[in-house]
Amino acid sequence: MKRAIPSFEMRMMLPALLVLASLSLIPFVTLIVMSFSHVKLMGGIRFENAALENWHHLLEDADVRSSWGTSLLYFGLTLGIEMALGIVFALILHRVVRGRNLLLALAIVPMFMAPIVVGLLGRFLTDSTLGLYAWALRILGFEGDLLAGKTSALLTVIAMDVWEWTPLVALVTFAGLSAVPAPLVEAAAVDGAGYFQTLRYIVFPQIRRVLLVALLVRAMDAIRFFDIITITTNGGPADATKIIPVRLYETAFRFRELGYASVIGILMLAFSILMAHAFVRVLGEKGLTR
Amino acid sequence: MRRSTAPALLVGILALLVLVWTLAPVAWMVVSSFKPTPAIKTASPTWLFEPTLEHYRDLIGAGNDVRPFAKNSLLAAGLSTALAVGLGALGGYGLAHWHHKSKKHLAFWIISTRMAPIAAVILPLFILFRQLGLIDSIAGLTLAYLSFNLPFAIWLMSAFFADVPPSLEEAARVDGCSRWQAFWYVVLPTTTPGLVTTGVLCLVFSWNDYAFASSFSGPGSQTLPMAAGRLITQGGVDWGQLTALGTIIVLPMIFAGLAVRRWLVTGLTMGAVTGE
Repeated sequence: MKRAIPSFEMRMMLPALLVLASLSLIPFVTLIVMSFSHVKLMGGIRFENAALENWHHLLEDADVRSSWGTSLLYFGLTLGIEMALGIVFALILHRVVRGRNLLLALAIVPMFMAPIVVGLLGRFLTDSTLGLYAWALRILGFEGDLLAGKTSALLTVIAMDVWEWTPLVALVTFAGLSAVPAPLVEAAAVDGAGYFQTLRYIVFPQIRRVLLVALLVRAMDAIRFFDIITITTNGGPADATKIIPVRLYETAFRFRELGYASVIGILMLAFSILMAHAFVRVLGEKGLTR
Repeated sequence: MRRSTAPALLVGILALLVLVWTLAPVAWMVVSSFKPTPAIKTASPTWLFEPTLEHYRDLIGAGNDVRPFAKNSLLAAGLSTALAVGLGALGGYGLAHWHHKSKKHLAFWIISTRMAPIAAVILPLFILFRQLGLIDSIAGLTLAYLSFNLPFAIWLMSAFFADVPPSLEEAARVDGCSRWQAFWYVVLPTTTPGLVTTGVLCLVFSWNDYAFASSFSGPGSQTLPMAAGRLITQGGVDWGQLTALGTIIVLPMIFAGLAVRRWLVTGLTMGAVTGE
């Protein structure tokens, strides 16, 4: 600071920054301290120095390693399917001529739903005795409980997230498509390019950045949330859906190992900061940080 | 993209499939909430039934009264939204106009707090809230929601402020306004869509939260999503009440979200795609 009196802009930011700092820096420091402590909750909170014990524990914990594996699988499949389906949805809706606005409004309904309701609704639909989707699957020849099998449970919770968030990718892609200059597409058609050729060589290069933003927005939310899994399988069956946030929550609040849970939390935080970095770098070219 | 060769029928059918995929579960939930229990508990779906309001009545009845939950939800989500929009508007204006070499770092720090995984945030907040006596309080929930709403609001409002033409503020300054007056009377009113969009999205995020509510709330501060979670018990699930409660939780947010649809892409990508 060169001046003694902060600038008008700084004074405008100050209240928000002070609140944000107390809501993020203090917890962050607490998290670090916790990771080097045994945290006792009974009879008032006490931190007992544990030195590197929690961190050491991490190295030999095969359960947490397998949870990271599940997380990455969950992460990759969820994002991959959401991007692919979202782009397809956007391309379809963009080709609709009449009633397009209404269609778009109806198609984005799922993303305003509470994830917990999405999870409960998923359980309702796949319930093997009364579920609508379970009934449809029975007609197609699949018997049994979707959330009971290891593979099917993972695929089912992924499907629920995909159902809720594909519309977001579609909406953002749609906005990108609407901004592609029409003469460009028409010129390609005049030159004899087919639909898929036009997409590949004209449309996709134009909307590349929009797609990247959609991917990053989804990525940062995919590591954040765990409501759907908590309410449907809670990590089961046999840890098949135990992604890292579920493991963390269980370690902290069921096994009461808050110190060790903090170590897991710090690793998650590091992962999400890498994601945030990618997000800001993409925007840096032209966007908020201009 | 005008194309004479477009197979309109195929596009129509595909569009219909998209709608069935997104709407069928919601529609089935709403319809089921009006079904008598025996019509819900059938192996093959019931299409015809005598509609009933019994499940909604049960939710106001003695045993499973959800009204206190609704009150807590409204209070915590509403307070957090109001604070986020207020502080976010000031902070967003500041961020949009602050030109300093560390601006990049400041913007990054703000967004990184938004992207922090909820599970990792819950841990230290749980300890801090225990120390401060904020567990099982509306104030605690409000602050917890603010931890993700505030960075979001600052970024989004800053995107809206960046789009306001500087000449507007300059003209106000020439006319003798102080910087604060120019902001309050001239710049801020032009970003009303931004304020509304920010508010609606913050409201949706906090209204829909389950993770913080289930970790920090107690008997006196449970929210509607908690009430839904509680309806799932070892003894089985009352799907009638659950679908009714799901409908109550979900419908207001769907309408709120659709109301700001024009600015949704800006909102959900925090301004990243605008000006493309």
